[in-house]
Amino acid sequence: MWLVEKFSENGKALLVGDNPFHNVSHLSQERTRLREKDTILPEHAADLIHLSVENGANGFMFSVSEKTLSILRILRERGEIDGLRLYSIVPYAYEYVKLATQVGGIPGLVKRVGTRIVTSGNLRGMATGITGFLNMNPTALMKTYLTYEIGRIRSCAGKKGNIECVLLHEVITDLALALGMDWLFKSYVDYMQKAKIGPGFNTVNFAYLVRKFKDWRIDLSHVVIAAPFNKIGFQMAPSREECEQALESLDKPILVAISVLAAGYLKPAEALRYVETLSNVKGFAVGISKESHAKETFRLAKTF
Amino acid sequence: MRVAIVGLGKMGLVHAGILNVLPGVELVALCEKNNLIRRFSKKLFKGLEIVDDVKKLGKLNLDGVYVTTPIPSHFPVATAILENEISRNLFVEKTLAQTCEEAQRLVGLAETHESVTMVGYLRRFYVTFNKARDLLQHNTIGKVKSFNGYAYSSDFLGLEKEASASSRGGVLRDLGCHAIDLALWFFGDLKVTSAGDGSNREDVDSVSFKVEGSEIAGEFDVSWRKEEYRMPEVGLTMAGSGGKLFVNDDQVKLELVDGGSFNWYRHDLNDNVPFWLGLPEYYREDLHFVKSMASKSRDEPNFYSAAKVDRIISDVVGGEV
Repeated sequence: MWLVEKFSENGKALLVGDNPFHNVSHLSQERTRLREKDTILPEHAADLIHLSVENGANGFMFSVSEKTLSILRILRERGEIDGLRLYSIVPYAYEYVKLATQVGGIPGLVKRVGTRIVTSGNLRGMATGITGFLNMNPTALMKTYLTYEIGRIRSCAGKKGNIECVLLHEVITDLALALGMDWLFKSYVDYMQKAKIGPGFNTVNFAYLVRKFKDWRIDLSHVVIAAPFNKIGFQMAPSREECEQALESLDKPILVAISVLAAGYLKPAEALRYVETLSNVKGFAVGISKESHAKETFRLAKTF
Repeated sequence: MRVAIVGLGKMGLVHAGILNVLPGVELVALCEKNNLIRRFSKKLFKGLEIVDDVKKLGKLNLDGVYVTTPIPSHFPVATAILENEISRNLFVEKTLAQTCEEAQRLVGLAETHESVTMVGYLRRFYVTFNKARDLLQHNTIGKVKSFNGYAYSSDFLGLEKEASASSRGGVLRDLGCHAIDLALWFFGDLKVTSAGDGSNREDVDSVSFKVEGSEIAGEFDVSWRKEEYRMPEVGLTMAGSGGKLFVNDDQVKLELVDGGSFNWYRHDLNDNVPFWLGLPEYYREDLHFVKSMASKSRDEPNFYSAAKVDRIISDVVGGEV
């Protein structure tokens, strides 16, 4: 039987996910509304992360938002960020999609984000960005954006914050996959490796990504893939079986399993039993919204 | 099958991605008016024709064109494509047009050109709404006498009036149209009987109105300033002689008079698709249009069925009830 403790000893990433902190439920918005009154404030989120760590977790996976940055700041101030493995996802798609809706589409969004980068005072990012904008160079613009986001994380997590991996959000990963933008993936990997941060990709199309990366000769052993893996095949495109086959075809554990509980549809015990059967798993992320979840989820395997 | 996309906003990008992975489809061109986006797109989409005017798509021998521009431009763009015979087949994002009259003219044009058409009423491709319709068709809750529909989001919550709100066509066209289309799909033709105060303005944030069909009465409530709705959500509650049925984007709930109750989430309804971009429904929607073009079938949601949504919206904002 696979044990969380053993998993941790093997250097696996046992991550607290941030969906409950953003009040996100992929089961239903109704559930989100029911717990709306109990919105998790950053201080409480930091408490939950710390409690999870005491019970076996060793990292935090989060979208880069004002809220998660506040959580990082609190963890740093409490001295609880040392050794915590940080897996961040950029961009925070929800915020950008909503902003685009409010400001009249992509041109308005570009203007707002450009302003944020300029006012952030990140000189390196600004220089790359101006060059990229003048030349309409997508790679330079991507690097500008990444420099800006990593700067935000570092300023909150501090020097002791261990940014182990930065993952491209599924909206970008899957769009770039669909459009065959191999150059984007290669540039991203190259940039992250130079920044000494693990390059990662969040995707709903795990099997497709593995196939395409092999076609494009992108070394899968040097990346992290965060993708849904769960017993019922929820959000596992095109199917659970094909995702499992793609996972088995890998040479190295690179998968961080997400949606392990299928958005709360599965109980932690049965969910983790399924993950235990998979090969090439680098870790998993589970959202935690209550103290009891923090204790149960990461200590669960001890009862097997 | 050769296709092009007009309008490179969020929806244009999503359709571009899916069309690029659909078997038997070749995305050959993009049309975008904004100079900045067009210049950037030339760097991003190598090998694709990028133009600034739909008329420049004429030489490309297209099987289909997607119109994903803001609602107010649907009519002129779709008209230009059909009248200039750039493509016979047309997908237009919802709503079909900005007014009922424009929608009717597009229906006529599509008839003249024997077009295969589709309008992006995405909810028709949700597993939950399909499950609910299936239950209705099997008479699970008996004769349906009334329904309540809603469409809520928090997109403009806490903001001053933004210009983008009106460029999106107003709350009814941007969001409420989905609930109206679902009701038409479920129950057939409906007629507006009354609208709440202020509904007859394009720039309101919330709209309520009542409708009736041959043997059914319904009410709609639409708002894009609802705090609890992190994501846009559409739902219908239906009361029948044999029970009650509730459906929204995430789930289906069935309560029968005899005491039985059932609940289905997306998880229970085989929601996976071959390629998942944003939502699984986008893949199903584009596959449906591509198959319709291939078979020359005029399945809904087409211009004809979508024009009924525009008619109801015009009746509400026109204040003629």
